[in-house]
Amino acid sequence: MTSGMRITIGAVAYDPKVVTIWEGIRDHFAGAGLLTEFALYSSYERQVEALLAGHVDIAWNTPLAHVRVRRRTDGTSRSLGMRDTDRDVRSKIIVRRDAGITSLGELAGRRLAVGSRDSTQARILPLYFLGQAGIEVGRIQLVPFDTDVGKHGDTGTSELDVVQAVHEGRAEAGAIGDVVWASLQAAGRVQSELVEVIWTSPPFDHCMFDALGWLPRATAEAFERALFSMSWDDPRHRKLLELEGLKEWVAPRESGYESLRAALDEQGAW
Amino acid sequence: MGTPVAAAAAVAVDGGDLALGGGLLALLRPALDRLEPGGVLAVLSSTRSVLDDLASWCRVERHEYLGTEEIAAGRQRHLIRRGSLGVPRGERERGGTLVAHDGRITASDLIASVPFPATADPATGFAPRGARVEPGGPAYPFTLDRADRVAPPEVAALYDQAIGAQWDASRDIPWQDVKPLPPGLDAAVGQIMTFLAENELSALYVPSRFIARIHPAYVETAMFLATQLNDEARHIDVFLKRARLGGEQSGPGVSSAVTAHSLHSLLVLEDFTEVAFLLSVLGEGTFLDLLRFIERHAPDAATAEIARRARIDETRHVHFGIDHVKHALATHPTLYARLEDAVRRRAATLSGAGSVPAPVIDALTVLAAGGLEPSKISAGHEAVQELMAEMHASRLKRLTHAGFTAAQAEMISSLHTPNFM
Repeated sequence: MTSGMRITIGAVAYDPKVVTIWEGIRDHFAGAGLLTEFALYSSYERQVEALLAGHVDIAWNTPLAHVRVRRRTDGTSRSLGMRDTDRDVRSKIIVRRDAGITSLGELAGRRLAVGSRDSTQARILPLYFLGQAGIEVGRIQLVPFDTDVGKHGDTGTSELDVVQAVHEGRAEAGAIGDVVWASLQAAGRVQSELVEVIWTSPPFDHCMFDALGWLPRATAEAFERALFSMSWDDPRHRKLLELEGLKEWVAPRESGYESLRAALDEQGAW
Repeated sequence: MGTPVAAAAAVAVDGGDLALGGGLLALLRPALDRLEPGGVLAVLSSTRSVLDDLASWCRVERHEYLGTEEIAAGRQRHLIRRGSLGVPRGERERGGTLVAHDGRITASDLIASVPFPATADPATGFAPRGARVEPGGPAYPFTLDRADRVAPPEVAALYDQAIGAQWDASRDIPWQDVKPLPPGLDAAVGQIMTFLAENELSALYVPSRFIARIHPAYVETAMFLATQLNDEARHIDVFLKRARLGGEQSGPGVSSAVTAHSLHSLLVLEDFTEVAFLLSVLGEGTFLDLLRFIERHAPDAATAEIARRARIDETRHVHFGIDHVKHALATHPTLYARLEDAVRRRAATLSGAGSVPAPVIDALTVLAAGGLEPSKISAGHEAVQELMAEMHASRLKRLTHAGFTAAQAEMISSLHTPNFM
């Protein structure tokens, strides 16, 4: 604990709404008897260092930040919870219908738009999974959109860039995460006569609340109780849950990060 | 994905060759919405990308994608289990569809189809009665949320009447008939119109404070009050126009302190039933006699028509007030004491306010006299005395009709404000 009974939660300010979210969660936690402060960082790299240095007690981490914390602590860190939407995320390969690409094998020599170099769903894992599927990634002409580096793809900006590039023909294909893709489709912002999906990746997991192993068990449990008591049917909670992109907080699991670890090994991107 | 599934689908939609983001959702979402949580929907599709898109969409929307099987070359049958989120099905409302009778559909027909609830749920907010309400909305602060205090039985019929009875303040009065009047009479008309206008201003403002407190489940009451506000606006309009028409002595008269105190004591009321009682039953009720008096003694056809039309509108407001109070008293017998108390409190506030404002009583006397000649004034004076007696007698009738005993009615009427309203 950094200051008596008050714990500090770190989050990355990838959008102005982050303040609204954490003010709301802080109020909710206070109502549940857990006093918190939040500290906002502008990059996940800095947030990971802050967690390891004990400046914050708990960090709301991307998958990339999470696996780095696990590795830096030799697996002694404590995972506390994740969003329902963080489980079984998939990446998509989308193509222009006029590009004549119907399978991954046909990507060789073509332009593939990819998201930021630290985006798990739009860059790191799609390229890893392509390799796993037997595709020689080196033969694909990558069109990278390295926007908001440090935010690990949270802003979604690079994924929107990918979709736009494919729509406009600046790339024949693109890699994006399924949440952005499904949301764009539901909002009617995909021209399906121009662009379609040809491939969906295996599932992987996304964000996680991380703490170091020395966080007292009682504190960890109080945090989890307060977190899991947020309900979609409660209007006070619902607004926060909508902003944070979930309907329910769920228990942590580690099994969904194996592919990311392997990808970072392979890409030398730890 | 790709595993044939044994689950039986209750409903199927044929998506043809629509892509998920190319229109398929417009078929898919309503079909899922019609299922109970846990219900299974089959989606037939001949578009290959649906295979990729449907499972992801289900994950994001918290439905369960059960799998797919090929039912013909290039044609897939996908199965989805509806998730538990979304808008609950609820019970189908009673009444069913509306039918026009003689080409008309009335507000009463609508209420018969979707009745008022006894109490209203703060979470349904502005959702129309009978709509399915998605959980998670805010709780609205509507405080008038009980049918017995806000939605009297005749409100729909009164609303229909009001809509049919609207008139045009610029065209429906024979303004061309107004001619310069004998000295003094012009000033008397201006004074009376000033008095009517300020009282109607209060009748515009006072109910408007309560519309935003009415739970929208009882929207017909808010709609009726909206017609009442429109009536008052029109009355203010014609009274002020009439005040400024005529000879040299025309124009607005005095706004007296007695009137100001009386109307202020209405504006500060915080209870809807007290307002219905004090403003509509007692105040507007008393005005019916006043308007009839003005119509009878009007110096020209325009003034008579103004008073006649205003009286017809006011009769509706009084009717609503009596209906409201009667309905509330029937379900809450303790209200008698509270309303009596409201009258006493108001009388105490106004004690020392004196009698009917002098400029008003003088103007009514001159109006009834038809001029300033002493011989006529005597008749005018007598007519005003009769008006006061009529007002008291009518109040007694209305109070008894609303459910008060003769003794209660006598006490309440005698404590009523000297300002009439």
